[in-house]
Amino acid sequence: MSVTVSVPHDELVPAEIVSTVFYSATVSDTMAILVAELVGGTARLSWCNDGAVQLLGYGLSDLRAIPVEHLFPTLGGGELKLLMRRERSVRMTLPVRTASGADVESVIVSTPSPSGRMWTMRLVSTANEQERALRATADAHERRFSTLTERSPIPTLLSEQGMRLAHVNDAFCTLVGLRAEQLLGTGWIDTVHPDDLDDVVEHVASALEGGDGETKARLVREDGTFRTTIIRFAHLFTPGVGAGFVGTIEDITDRLAFETQLAHQANHDPLTGLPNRTLLAEYIAGRFRPGAGGLACLFLDLDNFKVVNDSLGHAAGDELLIEVAKRLRATVRPGDLVARFGGDEFVVVCENVDESSTVALAERVSLALAEPLHLGGVDVRPYASVGVTVQTSEHHAADDLIRDCDIAMYQAKASGKGRITVLDQQARAEARDKLRLVTELRDAIERREITLLYQPIFDTRNRRPVAIESLARWEHAERGAISPVTFIPLAEESGLITSLGLLVLDETCRQMAEWDRLLGAGAPPRANVNVSALQLDTNLPAQVAEALARHSLEPCRISVEITESALMKDPDSARGVLQQLRDLGVDLAIDDFGTGYSSLAYLRHLPVDCLKVDRSFVAELADGHAEIASAVIALARNLNLSTVAEGVETPEQADELARLGATFLQGFGLALPMTGGATAAWFAAHGDRAR
Amino acid sequence: MTVMPFPSRASVRPPAFDIEKVLASIDTMAAQRPVAAQIVSVANSDDTSAKVLSRILAADVALASRVMKLANSAYFGMRGRVTSLQFAVTVVGFTTVRTMATVALTNLDDESRLPEDFWTVTTSLALASSTLAPRFGERPQDALCVGLLAQMGAALFHHNDAEGYAELVAEHPTFAGRRYAEGRRYGINSLRLTSVALEQWGFPSSMTIPLNQVDELSAPEGALLRASFEVAARLTVEDYEPVPITRLTRGQLREEDLPTVLEQVRADADELRRAMLGLTDDEDDEDDWIA
Repeated sequence: MSVTVSVPHDELVPAEIVSTVFYSATVSDTMAILVAELVGGTARLSWCNDGAVQLLGYGLSDLRAIPVEHLFPTLGGGELKLLMRRERSVRMTLPVRTASGADVESVIVSTPSPSGRMWTMRLVSTANEQERALRATADAHERRFSTLTERSPIPTLLSEQGMRLAHVNDAFCTLVGLRAEQLLGTGWIDTVHPDDLDDVVEHVASALEGGDGETKARLVREDGTFRTTIIRFAHLFTPGVGAGFVGTIEDITDRLAFETQLAHQANHDPLTGLPNRTLLAEYIAGRFRPGAGGLACLFLDLDNFKVVNDSLGHAAGDELLIEVAKRLRATVRPGDLVARFGGDEFVVVCENVDESSTVALAERVSLALAEPLHLGGVDVRPYASVGVTVQTSEHHAADDLIRDCDIAMYQAKASGKGRITVLDQQARAEARDKLRLVTELRDAIERREITLLYQPIFDTRNRRPVAIESLARWEHAERGAISPVTFIPLAEESGLITSLGLLVLDETCRQMAEWDRLLGAGAPPRANVNVSALQLDTNLPAQVAEALARHSLEPCRISVEITESALMKDPDSARGVLQQLRDLGVDLAIDDFGTGYSSLAYLRHLPVDCLKVDRSFVAELADGHAEIASAVIALARNLNLSTVAEGVETPEQADELARLGATFLQGFGLALPMTGGATAAWFAAHGDRAR
Repeated sequence: MTVMPFPSRASVRPPAFDIEKVLASIDTMAAQRPVAAQIVSVANSDDTSAKVLSRILAADVALASRVMKLANSAYFGMRGRVTSLQFAVTVVGFTTVRTMATVALTNLDDESRLPEDFWTVTTSLALASSTLAPRFGERPQDALCVGLLAQMGAALFHHNDAEGYAELVAEHPTFAGRRYAEGRRYGINSLRLTSVALEQWGFPSSMTIPLNQVDELSAPEGALLRASFEVAARLTVEDYEPVPITRLTRGQLREEDLPTVLEQVRADADELRRAMLGLTDDEDDEDDWIA
């Protein structure tokens, strides 16, 4: 406010108001007012109010005695005129000298009177308490902020305008290895990798306009190395000044290196350092264009690797694999991929090749591998069977290529080791056919299209039927009957054996329960169910128990048949499972006895009830060779086990087996396998002989 | 009107021109460049935004294009990313826009009406000031603006007393000596005159105090501008006898700090000058630098 108002002459303020205003100005202690005038060319003070007396420490009479410039020591020379302008008000920030000689920083507003000879000067000390407090608060904020950023371990940038930095903290200086002076302003721009600078400027531009964001950028250190970082930008606005940004930097160099290492480990074989199966699949998938051709694979399998491992130890085996990897890498063309597929299998992938050059490469590889290698004191020649596949229009997906290559390798192995085989059409067709059959088998099991036939088993002494054996049959809609000799191994290879086994078990139990309802005491007393070696695990007893319970059958109504070879795969575990089945109350029989390599001593400790004499030994009876059948039956008898002679086709064989002491007989010559319904009718007819 | 010298100045040569008239002319300048004047008056208010400023600025095509050019200059490091006027205002900052408007208002953009080497010295001064600002705890942007405007007083002397001022400049090649001579001749030195004009236009005291304190060796507020004049002198005055920078800054700077600063100023000054004057690249190729 100003008390010296310039009033137009035609609008005179009433004298009473003038005096009221003047009075309040006089006694005010919150405003310091001085009146100066030019007297004979010298500026003198002619009046001041109480506030001015308090601020300056002079009495009115003292003030009148001193020249005006004495109050304003910094206005030297003719500069007092700057404060006492005739035609306009002036506002200046100046130190004002008080009576004590101290300078008080003040804002002076000097307003001329209409006459141009007098000036009212209003003094406002800028050093008042409120302002000091405000400044102190602002300073404290500033200090807190700078302490926070300066001491922060997070590299931080603070922009002043545009890309120009006003502050960088120690952490940033350390990160790039430069001093703050070298980085302030636009100096830091040189630390941003030239290829990343556009992105950084783009983000700065967006932050200046109010956005937030982050970008990955490499920062070049003073020594020329670089750190990969994430720079996060935030908008900063100072009222009256404009926009800037805060940038915080996260150094992700080590994290990236670690991730790269992890990714490498995930995609590479630690022993040979070669790409693994995962990377191989990605590599081929990335290059495979259906119908394009030009891609070729070699699938290598070391011959007799197991022999090296078993005889010279795993360390030697590892050494051999490392050497093979080295030779493969050295032999293939630059740009070809060598991968370790698993175990002793390797795959080489080539691009832009035809069959002859691929075969030529396979030959070079075989030669290179066959160079002798000194391992554990022995010279070893690592031969490999190599399957070769070149992409054709029949390959619809990348997987087809590797699978064909695998097939070719097995063909090479089958035709003698150390060979190279190019996959031919027939082999591919066979393999594909097998694949299709597996799919159909899976469907058949799911839809319970695998049916069971039942073949009666007879007591040798009275030729009465005492049991049946469940035999799985698959009637394929297009291919007709498919032999168990085909589909059982297929189920075992393709992981379908458990569901197939459960199907047979459950259906047999169901059928038994049905016969019980239909025939009562005339129903077959017992059913023999075959169990594959792959089913022989700790789950089996529970599965059997569940099937029995589901159909409310006594455990003694079931006999589980397990092949001799299945028992010998892992005898200890097999024995455990058999014991559990035995504890359950089911009978146990060893199928195809005599065709495997059982340890007879071991046989003594197995909890079995019955040995089934293999049909091949029964067939020999016709040729006058009863030795093995006789021995097996005698062995069983001595161990207190019963015997079932399989494959009995003639009455002569039956008589001979009875003479040898076989307990039970089974075969086409006695009864054919029949459906459930036919079996019921058969037992109804022969039932009087059943029990 | 007749200027009455104060009694204390009776012994000094009478001023060759009417200082009050000069000051009064500052007010009338505003009428000739209304857009610039409006920017000068609104740019420092707390509720000003880039949007408001750019809207006003758009009405003065010459000034707007200078702001754009400056925003895209190497000084701000934006590598040509600034394509809108509003963003240009954001990048250069409100104080700089205001400074450019002030330059336009006082005809400092017309080299024909300025003392010789005016902009060569001014850009050196401004860049030195901005580059050194962090070492003195000052805001570089404000320091740049103080440097850009500092010589406005000298331009006013030149404008009102071309011959006399040219003579004065020739006689006093150093800036400090020249200021002393200005005080004797005009009753006020050029920096004080600038300060008065800026105060009149409402520039904050943080920008005017350094102008008043530059010759007070004991005053820390003047140290940055003092050091900047020394850098500008070393770059632009022929046969200049350097003054130890430690003495000028009371130890805040050492001689070994200066080579990088001199290098940076030399590198950026010409582009800044072109942006401030709105020159295109093929205009004015003369090189005023002292290597």
